[in-house]
Amino acid sequence: MAQTKLTKKNRLRELLVTLLPIAALLILFGVLCMVVSSRGYRLDMYLRIIFNEGVVLAVVATGAIFIYSLGSFDISLGASTLFSATIGVLVYNSTQSLPLMILTIFGVAVGCSLLSSVLASVFHIPVFVTTVAMMSVLSAVAAQIITTKGGALGGIGIPAAVVEPLDNLPFKLAVLAVFAVLCVFVFNFTKIGRRLKFLGSNPVCAKLSGIKVNVYAIIAFVMAGLGVGLGAFLTLVYTPSVTPTTAGSIGMNILVAIVFGGMPISGGSRSRIYAAIVGGFSYILLNNILKIVIDSGAGYGISQIVSAVFFLAVVYVTSMNYRTKLLPR
Amino acid sequence: MEPILEMKHIRKTFSSTVALGDVSLEVWPGEVRGLIGENGSGKSTISSIAAGMQKADSGEMVFQGKPWNPKSMIDALQHGVGMIVQESGTISGVTVAENIFLAELGQFKKLGIIDRRAMNKKADEALRAIGVNDVHGSTPLAALDFQTRKLVEIAKVVMKQPRILVVDETTTALSQNGRDILYDIIKRFRKEGKAVLFISHDLEEIMEVCDTLTVLRDGARIRDFRKEEFDPDAIRTSMIGRELQGDYYRGDFTPSRLDEVALRAEHLRSGDALKDVSIDFHRGEIVGIGGLSHCGMHTLGKILFGAEHPEAGSVTTADGTKITNETAAMKHGIGYVAKDRDVESLALNTSIRDNIAIAGMERYAIGNFLVTGLKERPYVDAQIKSLSVKCSDRDQLVSQLSGGNKQRVVFGKWIGRGSEILILDCPTRGVDIGVKKAMYELMDQLKREGKAIIMISEELPELMGMADRLIIMKDGVIMKEFARSRELSDAEIIKYMI
Repeated sequence: MAQTKLTKKNRLRELLVTLLPIAALLILFGVLCMVVSSRGYRLDMYLRIIFNEGVVLAVVATGAIFIYSLGSFDISLGASTLFSATIGVLVYNSTQSLPLMILTIFGVAVGCSLLSSVLASVFHIPVFVTTVAMMSVLSAVAAQIITTKGGALGGIGIPAAVVEPLDNLPFKLAVLAVFAVLCVFVFNFTKIGRRLKFLGSNPVCAKLSGIKVNVYAIIAFVMAGLGVGLGAFLTLVYTPSVTPTTAGSIGMNILVAIVFGGMPISGGSRSRIYAAIVGGFSYILLNNILKIVIDSGAGYGISQIVSAVFFLAVVYVTSMNYRTKLLPR
Repeated sequence: MEPILEMKHIRKTFSSTVALGDVSLEVWPGEVRGLIGENGSGKSTISSIAAGMQKADSGEMVFQGKPWNPKSMIDALQHGVGMIVQESGTISGVTVAENIFLAELGQFKKLGIIDRRAMNKKADEALRAIGVNDVHGSTPLAALDFQTRKLVEIAKVVMKQPRILVVDETTTALSQNGRDILYDIIKRFRKEGKAVLFISHDLEEIMEVCDTLTVLRDGARIRDFRKEEFDPDAIRTSMIGRELQGDYYRGDFTPSRLDEVALRAEHLRSGDALKDVSIDFHRGEIVGIGGLSHCGMHTLGKILFGAEHPEAGSVTTADGTKITNETAAMKHGIGYVAKDRDVESLALNTSIRDNIAIAGMERYAIGNFLVTGLKERPYVDAQIKSLSVKCSDRDQLVSQLSGGNKQRVVFGKWIGRGSEILILDCPTRGVDIGVKKAMYELMDQLKREGKAIIMISEELPELMGMADRLIIMKDGVIMKEFARSRELSDAEIIKYMI
């Protein structure tokens, strides 16, 4: 009887811990509503901005969970998004074909991810090192293309009318939902996902359990590439142009978002897809709240600092968790 | 005289598992107190609470007359209680010296820069002080084997000259030379009026080393024995609460096997570890491979499983397939229970379910791809049941299990997937006699089912007790092969080991 009571208590505690990031998201949403109302701004406008920014971050972060579950990370995801979108714009402008543009974006995004992981596998370099190199190369090449082709405009784009029919909440929600369901399915109900999580928990044991480490690392990067492709496409749907700064901060934002969503940075069996979605929207909400509250020229820098402090606080609390086993780390 | 350490009414639970009910313990000056009990009895838990590794849920501790509530193991060590842990207590990414002075690097700082030469010198001194002469402070820890790492850990703890030394199941990781080093340290502690808490599953060893013995069972203190009361049968009975029935090892002394060769190792070479080793492993046979820790047998186990690549030679299955990696080995029904259980065989912060399921997915995955709880849960539960894993449920973290239960999970992982050839490297390391007996029975049963068992072990009695054929290795070479026999003696075997 006492054992049953204890088990129930632990289950309840675990459920509360799981719900904590969702509670934080709801609180941030409430705070945003209060802040926007108190300043007399239009709430619907802010919600649209937050949704459009959040959906891109959530989609890319959802794919990135596959990499993070390995205990690794990819800093080049923002640069890949920019590069894929840039090439997509070039292809559309050459062919006037939307399907071809979409295919190209996905092809380039998955290709970039594959290149990072294959380089890491072939040369036995830590994955994050190859992704740092990829970030520099992809940003530089995209910036070069944009400045060369965009000239005085400072950016390149496709006609807004091409993607306008897709620039609406139901379509974007559907894209996010379909991708999230696909990722949850692969992550939790296939050998691939289960093995990736195990690999993140203990790579030595995983190898001795017959898991091909390099193969699964490549699969994780391909999944992340799909997220990048979707993110790049949704970026073009929202603003049908790219500049050298488009999606520039996504790589770092994903890291923060995933931690906000309650997933351990160390990956492993406690990795969760919902962390990307919940954390992605939480991060964008927090960012926008800070932008409104710190409404000055220096605001951007200060809000970055406040975000960083938030991030450190969450990591600290979750590392306390690890010791006390109250919350996941 | 007052005890150095008093632990009063200590209680500790992990989720729904009660690790310690209401245990009190005293440690006296000059005493070497043994703690013995089955896996999960609470030995490691109570000693780790004394050494600051974890906190009790309730209870009180008094150390040298003052309340004792160490914040961490480092805090405990700095104030007089040092512990050598059961599994790896070192960090592999740094040097030996950095491991030894991990929390005290500041003492070597000059103008903000660490004086590595001074630190390495001090580390060398600490190692020499316990009799380790061939390891240097500047050596990267990753370059050392498991036993030498353990010696580094011992040097690190002993250097701080604690009043109480906790030795938790350490000797299983050590060769005879390493054990002698540790025994000398224990004798020194006794002579200096300090105390030692000594945990071991080796009854013979614990009776030799300790002055007093406390038996724990299911988180409770069952009985104390003074040296003059030491009696193996009485201690065993106290440990398990019943008398062990039947034979501890196999009852028969006739070697037997099927004709079919399950796995063939031919002319294997690997540096100094293996020098032209060839062995045939038959179905229905337990082949014991023994020798000193560095004789090459552990490398052989890894190569047989494809986890290491030999410089020359090959490993082939009955159908002629060459085993070149772990995936190929598993595809051909080979399972591998590694010696370093917590690093190589288990993902500790993962559930029992994940650990058992990970190796057997092709047994229940739909279309070899889709994994659902409907098929996975019964698969895992069957292993938990058949191997009697003591746990709250299948989702309990493996890190919360005792050593013996962890090993049961490892066995479940490989047996569940229907492995036809099992490579068992030190399969009973760190498990109690109850679990050992269960493991031996299981091995015997698997042999009868026609499976090929390769048992690598540093314990001669179990090799002699279980193997149909016993192969003794020394310096990477097979020195002698013995057939199972009642007349086989350890003296005869040891001649070929040393």
